[in-house]
Amino acid sequence: MTDTLQRPYVAQPQRVEPVISMVDIGMTYPNGKVALVDVNVEIPEGDFVFLVGPSGAGKSTFIRLLIREQLPTAGRVVVAGRDLSTMRRSQVPALRRRIGIVFQDFRLLPAKTVYENVAFALEVTGATGAEIRKRVPRLLNLVGLHEHDEHLPAQLSGGEQQRTAIARALVHDPAMLIADEPTGNLDPVTSWDLIQLLIQINAMGTTVLMATHNQEIVNAMRRRVLALEHGTLVRDESGAAYEREY
Amino acid sequence: MRLLRFIAFSVVRAWQGFWRNAMMSLAATSTVVLMLVLLSGLLIVLAGLDSGLQYIESKVGVTARLQDNLAQEDIDTLVTYIEGLPGVLKVDYIPPEEALERLKQVYEEQGQTLDLGGAEITLYASVEIALTDANQASAVATALEERPEVELITTRQDNYDKLLGIIGYIRTVGFIALALVGLTVLFMIVNMIRIAVYSRSGEIEIMRLVGASDSFIRWPFILEGILCGVIGAIITIILVAVAWEPIKPIMVRVFQMPTAVSTEFLAVLSAVILGMGLGVGALGSWISVRANLASAA
Repeated sequence: MTDTLQRPYVAQPQRVEPVISMVDIGMTYPNGKVALVDVNVEIPEGDFVFLVGPSGAGKSTFIRLLIREQLPTAGRVVVAGRDLSTMRRSQVPALRRRIGIVFQDFRLLPAKTVYENVAFALEVTGATGAEIRKRVPRLLNLVGLHEHDEHLPAQLSGGEQQRTAIARALVHDPAMLIADEPTGNLDPVTSWDLIQLLIQINAMGTTVLMATHNQEIVNAMRRRVLALEHGTLVRDESGAAYEREY
Repeated sequence: MRLLRFIAFSVVRAWQGFWRNAMMSLAATSTVVLMLVLLSGLLIVLAGLDSGLQYIESKVGVTARLQDNLAQEDIDTLVTYIEGLPGVLKVDYIPPEEALERLKQVYEEQGQTLDLGGAEITLYASVEIALTDANQASAVATALEERPEVELITTRQDNYDKLLGIIGYIRTVGFIALALVGLTVLFMIVNMIRIAVYSRSGEIEIMRLVGASDSFIRWPFILEGILCGVIGAIITIILVAVAWEPIKPIMVRVFQMPTAVSTEFLAVLSAVILGMGLGVGALGSWISVRANLASAA
């Protein structure tokens, strides 16, 4: 009998590649306002993470750095294996197709139908008509809006509008979905419906980062929480509750 | 295929954008038409004057009016003398009868008849000297001044210089006016595109967020400016083509030059109008897109 056989089997934790890696991130705006200080975060693929913090804590800057709308004044941001600081401008669109993003105010095009809003995201990236006809109905089905595809945003409820925005964000099959206060304009019941949808999307393998003020949702979900305060990451805890440490 | 889809996308979006801000687009197109009509007018006038200049240049010569009642021998001696001068191509003796015929012909061309009231007139005899080089006119004239057979010497050099001056003046004034109108057109197109960019800022933001490349964001706006210039050019070409028939006889009458109103000239003029329209539209929208979409992507 060899040593190997005598040794009890211990499952080794698998190293999951981070889809997001922020190393020593600092961000100071030209007017001198310090938005982020020495932030270090790794988000593995498939994670569901809440980003919490009071207004002005640096959540928006955090998100803007991830989609390379801004570059940090210190440190390194790596998304899906790409260092955003060294990324050429021409490569940014490809990065953004790897990251879906939704906002509190939905940002739908009011003159376009649900179908057209989702199709638009494919159209402007050069997708073929066949691709559009194949992908859009599948996404509208996923978010439960296949029967509303001819409706204009004004004819939809807030929850339905946010679902349309989610369908649009998923149109390029992104590795990550960033939701910036997605329930901010929704009633509690609709908010929970939306969270269920995000959980479903996460279960399909998409990493989800959700910035929120919604204490009830954070507490109930018991997922990883990143808490920012005055630009500093004051808490990074898995299975955490929403705490008012700020 | 991807390139074709990109072109189709950009053209459709440019067309939609053009009509979405219809008032602004039509105002910009109108200024393009104004500029191109002005350009066409200037080019037509300059072409006429240039033709006139070329004609005079080719005909610049010296005419010597002769003394009355010269003997044929004297005339022959004079002609031989002139033929021996440097720069002389050809010498024609015009007897008084032929001079009278020519005068009658000039009247006929103007739709009139030379009415002498039954009187008999005798015009001066002359020699017309064609030159190999227009610059020799003064030397030939000086040489003829010493000849007793010659009463008066005229050259076309004065006309030539005068016409050259007029052309230079018209060209300068015309191009200054064109430059001013051109600047107005540029300003209109820059503004048209700026308004289009602002009115579609929501769409542009979404395009950026979903990963549309710079070209997908910018080219529809550039094409919108080009569309404005091209539509303006087409309207101008139609206007010029419609006005062409009435213009032709006026041109022939004023400049006496059929070359200035040939079909070939109309084709060249149309190409210039189209090129200018396209160029000013592209330049205006490019300036605007650079200024207003600098942070796109």
